[in-house]
Amino acid sequence: MGRRSDRGGRRPQRPKTSLRSHGDRGRRHGPTAESFRCLECRLDVSTRAPGTAHRNHCPNCLTSRHVDGRLPGDRSAGCGGRMTAVGMTARSDGEWMLVHRCVSCGGLGTNRVAGDDNVRALVRLAVRPLSDPALTRSLLTRL
Amino acid sequence: MSNTDPTFGIADTSTFTCLRCGTSVSVLSPDGAERDHCPSCLTGRHVHERRSGGRSDCGGPMGPIAVVSDHDRWRLVHRCAHCDGLSEGDVASDDNRLVLMRIAVRPLAEPPFPLELLGEV
Repeated sequence: MGRRSDRGGRRPQRPKTSLRSHGDRGRRHGPTAESFRCLECRLDVSTRAPGTAHRNHCPNCLTSRHVDGRLPGDRSAGCGGRMTAVGMTARSDGEWMLVHRCVSCGGLGTNRVAGDDNVRALVRLAVRPLSDPALTRSLLTRL
Repeated sequence: MSNTDPTFGIADTSTFTCLRCGTSVSVLSPDGAERDHCPSCLTGRHVHERRSGGRSDCGGPMGPIAVVSDHDRWRLVHRCAHCDGLSEGDVASDDNRLVLMRIAVRPLAEPPFPLELLGEV
């Protein structure tokens, strides 16, 4: 809850009147939630969008959340930490996959890119290993 | 390691055989670090459990899938061919540079959108 209620002495905040319509109430969390809040950029991301059927990262900053274990959608990881996109890989059919690393526990995960992902963020991530000219030059000159 | 250690000063000369290309590889890299992948084809073996830090009983071959840039150095991400587990390790100084570079530029070889249009986004 709020930080102030932890300092002691203050009564807990009263529940706020929902700004959402009655039908949407209660669908903010859980598997039937219609949107989620990005842990990094705070963007309110709708889970229903053209371009993807399984929304598992923010289309703006590509940040994900550590909820799945080895299988996508199994919700077996009890971590819940923020997962930042650290790299890009390509499957054998040429499809791009994001590599996420959990900030809390260091766990890794891969996710398919979605059709409405930020193109600049995707390309920036793909060229990031090559962006340091000194490193790339030293790699290629010491063959 | 201290001076009272009987193995002090004796280099570990044990080797392992790469699961993919069959190369005999020394356990220690030239910089003294313990290897987790073959320097020739960069294939590793699933022997460590990343989540718990203990031993894994999978033992499957782990192919390199991505290069991650981390504080001015490259790290290599592997995926196990048997159980799909992921691991991450440092790049050794004698790793095959051409294979490393190939993994790094592979997404750019097949972009899901035309890169020429990027200037207009």
